[in-house]
Amino acid sequence: MGAWFKDFAAEFTLNFINDDRWQWLLEGLITTIIITFFATIIGAFIGIVVAIIRSTHDKNIDTMKKRKGIGYYFLKIVNFICTVYLTVVRGTPVVVQLLIMYFVIMASSTNGTLVAIIAFGINSGAYVAEIFRGGIMAVDNGQFEAGRSLGFNYIQTMIYIVSPQMFKTVLPTLCNEFIVLLKETSIAGYVGIQDLTKAGDLIRGRTFSAFMPLIAVALVYLIIVMVFTYLVRLLERRLRKSEH
Amino acid sequence: MSTNEVIIHTENLEKNFGENHVLRGITTDIKKGEVVVIIGPSGCGKSTFLRCLNLLELPSNGKILFKDWDITSSSTNINFHRQKMGMVFQQFNLFPHMTVLKNMTLGPVKLLKMSKAEAEAKAMELLEVVGLADRANSYPSQLSGGQKQRVAIVRALAMNPEVMLFDEPTSALDPEMVGEVLEVMKNLAKSGMTMVVVTHEMGFAREVASRVVFIDEGVIAEDASPEEFFSNPKSPRLKEFLSKVI
Repeated sequence: MGAWFKDFAAEFTLNFINDDRWQWLLEGLITTIIITFFATIIGAFIGIVVAIIRSTHDKNIDTMKKRKGIGYYFLKIVNFICTVYLTVVRGTPVVVQLLIMYFVIMASSTNGTLVAIIAFGINSGAYVAEIFRGGIMAVDNGQFEAGRSLGFNYIQTMIYIVSPQMFKTVLPTLCNEFIVLLKETSIAGYVGIQDLTKAGDLIRGRTFSAFMPLIAVALVYLIIVMVFTYLVRLLERRLRKSEH
Repeated sequence: MSTNEVIIHTENLEKNFGENHVLRGITTDIKKGEVVVIIGPSGCGKSTFLRCLNLLELPSNGKILFKDWDITSSSTNINFHRQKMGMVFQQFNLFPHMTVLKNMTLGPVKLLKMSKAEAEAKAMELLEVVGLADRANSYPSQLSGGQKQRVAIVRALAMNPEVMLFDEPTSALDPEMVGEVLEVMKNLAKSGMTMVVVTHEMGFAREVASRVVFIDEGVIAEDASPEEFFSNPKSPRLKEFLSKVI
């Protein structure tokens, strides 16, 4: 037992204390959080816009067809663009998207973190869009009609009546998407970004000791996910209360 | 109770759902203060007709004039006119994420620009009338069906509508709760509100209606005062229908 502990302490010192290697992990973690945070914001923004366009299209295109105004053609075109976006993003691996973003589309940029934020944001937006759209379609159409019959216009009905109900049904899935995104950013090392995963891997390369740095990286991800899951559960309970 | 002022005028109203010709030309007037009860076999188009009146369904053909405004014209802002047409649904459609009071004040505050205090005072007054003042801070899921429908009625009334549309308001209720909702509607009729009611409640039609309209296969098959309608039906289709339901 004493010998095992001695080995453990030596390994620990080698991987984290010597040369202040723990700082690599910390810096990597910060990069991971920055990428995830801003990609989430971009993803949520894209997701809401695309979901509103798509569900507006699905709900109204039949009635708009009769009047064939400029709005009809505009909605048709925008909806088509959204559909192409969803198909492409969901139909290709995120690593490939990241590589294309880094080496082709934004090849002139030297800021890897920024490229990753944009690539992950665009990727996440597609999944968030479908989550929101499912949520909007799941709200009973009678709610929509009740709002309209009071005199609210389409957008007001969405804001005051549909979206608060949608948010509640969508929250668990949305949280899951955030967790997926957090873990997905671990491929950022592919384009030379020193995120949490890459930092652990760098330590392994320097110390030739794989166990400790990699387990440490795994633990950090796990802890973030668990804390986040706990917070969402609190929020969900809060939301459920408002219905009784 | 009714005067000669026409509130809603429909002219040759038609509605198709694809190949399905639901309304085949309905022309009628609804006058101020009138209670028009619409009955008919299921699938005859009576709910569709009602939902056309505030454009929840877009008519395929024909015209609807609301206080002389052609609301079917594409330049009309329907949201503005809908504020003046209250609607009550079969499934209540209360907003589940809001309290009763919030359900009732949302429209007046956001659309009529009433102050919150003013809207709440008005809402409480209306809740008092239907005997639900003590449920103001409840959520819809805590109410019985009859209570929900009474709230739905006063939610529509809170907007100060000029006409109230009822789409089978008692059809989703347990039998013992039908009475309390009909009672509210009767009192509303007595107060002079213009009402268009799609229902299967023949007793209500007989007692409260100023006119009963029978729709069959997308057209008005009979349109008469309740006495005339029930004791002396003219069309064979109505005779057959009444013999089945009464």
